[in-house]
Amino acid sequence: MQRQLTRLTLTLLTLLGMSTYALAQFTAKGKVVDEDGAPLPAATIQLKNTAIGTFTDSDGNFSLEVPGSEGVLVVRFTGYREQEVEVSSSNPSVGVNMEVADNRMDDVVISGLASSVKRSNAASSVAAISSRQLAGVTNQQTMDGALYGKFKGANITANSGAPGGGISVKLRGITSINANSQPLYIVDGVYMDNSAIASGIDFVSNASGGGSATNQDNPSNRIADIDPEDIETIEILKGASAASIYGSRAAAGVVIITTKRGAPGRTNISYNTSLGFAQMLNPKGQRTFDAQKVEASFGASEVPIYESAVAAGLLNDYEDELFGETGFLQTHRLSFRGGNDRTSFFVGGTLKAEDGIVKNTGYSKESFRVNLDHKATGWLDLSFNSNYIHSSSDRGFFNNDNSGTTMGISLIVTPPWAQLLPDANGNYPDNPYGAANPLQTRDLITNNEEVSRVISGVTAKARLYSAEQSALRFVLNAGLDHYNLATTALFPRTLQFQSNGNGTNGASIQGSTVNTNSNVSGFLVHNYYPSNTNLSFTTQAGALLLNFDQNTIRNTATQLIGSQTNLDQSGSVAVLQNRVMQQDIGYYVQEEVNYADQLIGTVGIRADKSSNNGDANQLYYYPKASLAWNVHSMFDLTSDVLSSVKLRVAYGQSGNFANFGAKYTTLGNTLIGGNAGSLINGLRGNDMVAPERQAELETGFDIALLDNKVSLDFTVYRKNVTGLLLNAQVPGSSGFGSQVTNAADLQNQGMEIGLQVNAFNGDKFQWTSGANFWLNRSLVTRLDVEAFNVGAFGATLATFRIEEGQPATQIVGIGPSELDEDGDGLIVWGNSEPDFQIAFPNTLNFNDFQLSFLVHWKQGGDNINLTTLLTDIFGTSPDYDATTLDPDGQQVNGDYRLAALGVTAEPWVEDASYVRLREIGLFYTIRQDKLESISRDYIRSIRVGFSAYNLINIFDYSSYDPEVSNFGANGISTGVEVLPFPSARRINFHLGVNF
Amino acid sequence: MKFLKHNIKIQWVLLLGLLVGMMGCQIQEEPFPNGPALEDISQNATLGDLNNVVAGMEAGMRNRLGTYGDDVGVVGREWYRFSGSDPRFTSDLLGKGSAVLDNNTFYVTNPYYERYRVVRNGHILLTAVDNTSADITDEEKNGFRGFARTIMAYQLLLNLNLMGNNGIRADVADPDNLGPFLDYSGSLTAIKALLDEAASELDNSGAAFAFVLSSGFAGFDDPASFRQFNRAIAARVALYQADYTTAATDLAASFYDPAAALSDGVFHIFSATGGDALNPLFFAPGATGEQRVAHPSYVADAEAGDIRLDKVLIRADTAFQDDLSSNYDVYVFQTNTSSIPIIRNEELVLIDAELKARAGDPGGAVTSIDIVRTAAGLAGYTGGTSETELIDEVLNQRRYSLYGEGHRWVDMRRTGRLGQLPIDRPGDDVWEEFPRPANEN
Repeated sequence: MQRQLTRLTLTLLTLLGMSTYALAQFTAKGKVVDEDGAPLPAATIQLKNTAIGTFTDSDGNFSLEVPGSEGVLVVRFTGYREQEVEVSSSNPSVGVNMEVADNRMDDVVISGLASSVKRSNAASSVAAISSRQLAGVTNQQTMDGALYGKFKGANITANSGAPGGGISVKLRGITSINANSQPLYIVDGVYMDNSAIASGIDFVSNASGGGSATNQDNPSNRIADIDPEDIETIEILKGASAASIYGSRAAAGVVIITTKRGAPGRTNISYNTSLGFAQMLNPKGQRTFDAQKVEASFGASEVPIYESAVAAGLLNDYEDELFGETGFLQTHRLSFRGGNDRTSFFVGGTLKAEDGIVKNTGYSKESFRVNLDHKATGWLDLSFNSNYIHSSSDRGFFNNDNSGTTMGISLIVTPPWAQLLPDANGNYPDNPYGAANPLQTRDLITNNEEVSRVISGVTAKARLYSAEQSALRFVLNAGLDHYNLATTALFPRTLQFQSNGNGTNGASIQGSTVNTNSNVSGFLVHNYYPSNTNLSFTTQAGALLLNFDQNTIRNTATQLIGSQTNLDQSGSVAVLQNRVMQQDIGYYVQEEVNYADQLIGTVGIRADKSSNNGDANQLYYYPKASLAWNVHSMFDLTSDVLSSVKLRVAYGQSGNFANFGAKYTTLGNTLIGGNAGSLINGLRGNDMVAPERQAELETGFDIALLDNKVSLDFTVYRKNVTGLLLNAQVPGSSGFGSQVTNAADLQNQGMEIGLQVNAFNGDKFQWTSGANFWLNRSLVTRLDVEAFNVGAFGATLATFRIEEGQPATQIVGIGPSELDEDGDGLIVWGNSEPDFQIAFPNTLNFNDFQLSFLVHWKQGGDNINLTTLLTDIFGTSPDYDATTLDPDGQQVNGDYRLAALGVTAEPWVEDASYVRLREIGLFYTIRQDKLESISRDYIRSIRVGFSAYNLINIFDYSSYDPEVSNFGANGISTGVEVLPFPSARRINFHLGVNF
Repeated sequence: MKFLKHNIKIQWVLLLGLLVGMMGCQIQEEPFPNGPALEDISQNATLGDLNNVVAGMEAGMRNRLGTYGDDVGVVGREWYRFSGSDPRFTSDLLGKGSAVLDNNTFYVTNPYYERYRVVRNGHILLTAVDNTSADITDEEKNGFRGFARTIMAYQLLLNLNLMGNNGIRADVADPDNLGPFLDYSGSLTAIKALLDEAASELDNSGAAFAFVLSSGFAGFDDPASFRQFNRAIAARVALYQADYTTAATDLAASFYDPAAALSDGVFHIFSATGGDALNPLFFAPGATGEQRVAHPSYVADAEAGDIRLDKVLIRADTAFQDDLSSNYDVYVFQTNTSSIPIIRNEELVLIDAELKARAGDPGGAVTSIDIVRTAAGLAGYTGGTSETELIDEVLNQRRYSLYGEGHRWVDMRRTGRLGQLPIDRPGDDVWEEFPRPANEN
């Protein structure tokens, strides 16, 4: 079919060529060079307002047939400012000197599934950052962890400090309660899987035993596999007005990652290494005891044990023992970048090895990437991306439990006079104060995730035909994301909680997940430039086919034989298998009209169907429309003061699927005495389930002043989610816990302001600064079911609550009845939504020194912190004996908080504001001229420096770090803390050599 | 120019044709891979499916039994539940200070829901039996029904034990139209009616079931013997109803046997086999962290020489948490695969004693009491034989004979004696019932 189409169009093209051949024309020639006069091969030359174009050759030369007697050539090259030059039959030869783009208005941002526009013509606030902003300041552990503070509208939270990541990214507020709330990640056109797959340690921790069935295993999310060093740009489509083009997967936003590509010219080889260390960010310290306090908290029988330990000088600091390691960090990277006018390549490899702040934890990654671009013929471009990643993370054993076995809980139940260090033969004493000896647990268990992943994609762009006033392209894209994840959780039978009748005489929990995502899309893009107008039309239409297939098999072996860990070396094995299979088909049509770069309007519609919907073959439609108005160029307002003014408005819709299987009511498997059985599952399916639909309207303006030295962008948005997917609680007497419904509407409104100042731009000294400010407010506008609590651990200890007329992120709990206005027995104690966030990026250059830093301030947003509760109960809170809480100054903090248990949930809802120096880096570049004496011209430059991540942290939060989530990334219950893996501060030293 | 426009039109036609071609792509709906769908079972079950639903009910009866046990055991002052990770066992359940029971916390919502989940499976079984085209006889169908209703009634009874005067919904056949909440006595009436209906179905179930039960039902796994189990539960319900005549009738039709072992009965079984469940009420003796330690009064109040003190085990150290302490672990279940009784002959003997005491047959009552006392290594009962004194003694024997099996709190409540349960800390409360779960309101 495709070949026929091509042939037919080529025939048409020939005919067309004949019809226009007779007109007058001349040949424009020229050379495109950079600021240093070096030729720029493969730069794009386009005759303005036509489809006529060409590329420069390897020497930067081009020649182009121009109809008529004059015209304007538009010259584009990635990373350089777009140039327009006039040519005429009398003056056909031009030289074009390209300047490096220092203004983001020249970036290109995505506008359709097969098209992009200059930022200055974009109608949405599409955020984009470059590789330098992403990973240029400090060494980043994971890609998602590198995004903090760099995108307006993004609320990013690390789930814990465990090595290997685990991060929640929420764009413009919470968009879903029970379905996916994490953005869609697309890397070079490949739909990436971002699952967080539990390792099954819940079997030992019994964290869900209290009834919070949500995953508390603290797995990493799979987008962490992407090497941040490979990334050229990241664009974020924050809401439906921009993300509508991705239809029913885009309600939580889309993160579009473009990796580095080759460039024609001399091959650039660079080697970079970072060596550094990680240390616990915020030790809490421990309570200072005396005999009286020991008796009150541990009973009279403990006093002599305490006193003899004091006498013998045997008081221990177990927090330091467990979290006091200095983790060694190293990253080595080698990349090659080059090519000629037809073929270019990028090859990059990274080795990363990091130790955690807890012994036997850490993260390692090996990533290898090859990106190739090839201009096969005059009309066909091919590009190919391939990435292999192997990563391994040892994540320790933390978070909530109901067995007292995690390192966190067994740490806080242990007083300083406990003696838990192993004897000379390596035997650990049992911890008489808890179910586990945390030092033994640390040294003997394994909790590892190991990933082997291949991400590969091809894109073919065929210029099917091209004439003076129109051109037709076909863009074919195919992608594959395939990985094997092996989770290994080993609990040997020598552990205190796996011996002497405790536990199951050891547990070996081994999981294997095979995930394959594949996507194919084909698009036709038609450009049309009507003659004698300043109008241009870009039309695109196409279809996509997406397949998602995930198969997880997890074996839990218990009653282990000796110290064996193989699954068969056991007395009992339980197996779990979970498969997720989904197929989507999508169609997309878009029309873009550009009037002289002054008014740019776009309308489009996406249609999607999916096997996940109640009716797999029903199409759901997601329209969009937008308008950008470059006021300055329409009314010629540009002056020394005003560089540009753009007004923009955009509207779009997008969707979000129900979780896999939501349309079925199913029975789970049981076993009793050898009889296999089927028991109804708690979630009642809904065979009418539909995607939730988000409609977003955003509007704003961009102003650039003083020759683009100052630019300001302002955006407000309102997005309404209708048919919000809710696992609505149903009466337990129905035999179901919840039912899939589309029973609510949710609204998010917010504001985003960006300011960029090129404060100083001298020969020796340059300073760019700025501020990104954003805030969001959510509101449940419709709820067809009873208001219900969701997440966390029940109203006694504070919980979230979905209630009409209230923010979706409100935190409620029990409390004094006089505060209970609506009589539901619950008081609103907080809200997890931040009041606002603001980030200040800064870069200063002085000669060859560069200093960059990013300050990130999150104001407001509450956590449910149960770490304090648990340390109070066990009498080990560092501030137990302070009297800062009781308004009457009578009770010490520990007693005061404990007295509140069962009376009010207030003490556990804490303000999670912070100000952090997220990133700081100081670098010195030694340029080639200074190196000649030692290296001739092998070495182009050497860069040395030091950097730090989370170097300075200011917060008033009572636990390790206000950034935390016991329940992982998804849904509403981020910000609940139960004894997590504490976060770390990272400091690195860098050496980079460019050959 | 004309030519050009024409060509563009042709392209549009082509483009449209391509789109329309792609629009025709259909998505194949695959069956759900991770478990059977409800529709398949309720509309077209095989005999194997029906067996699976039966086994699912039996297995599901064990879910959150540990939480249920802690609820009635802690509130009934049989033991303390010390936990390294959840403070509410010693605050909410004991009414520490101003703490009250919450209507949306795991200790009430989880066991409550799990019991109704088994009831739901029972309704699925009833529907599936009605609709099945499998080759089974009407008698065999009645066997399924009798089993389903008996188990459903027992599950409702456990929830009523928690809910007390808050009552339960007895009619939950249609999840979209749940029946009303009944008061305590109305709830008991409904449970009793369900048991009676099951009994008559079991009468018409032939000689054998078409399904297999676990060894927990050993000796009660055909229609006739299963009916004896049904009547035993019915006798317990009638006793709670204070309908002593009916209780006596039901007791007679049960497996009550003063000459048989007191440990005879029906049990939840556990095993370490993968996929099976471990006894949730077991903690290793001497455990630290997660503990069930006996309420000190259990040992303090016991008669010297009572063998039933082997249900607790002295600890090497004193367990201490939240101003509570105990020197004894609960040792009713000695391994993590020990069975948990549903109902035992020992309870039936004591029901007989109570019924006789209430029916003015002190001699008969003492005879039954002494069966239990003798088995516990104690001398025969020598106390007073007024009805009140005998009831006191029956409750005392129930306290020790049925320790850890979920009876103490219910017994003290139905006899109006909650005030006699010990208060350990100033400000603690003895709750009369659990609040109705929040999502039922």
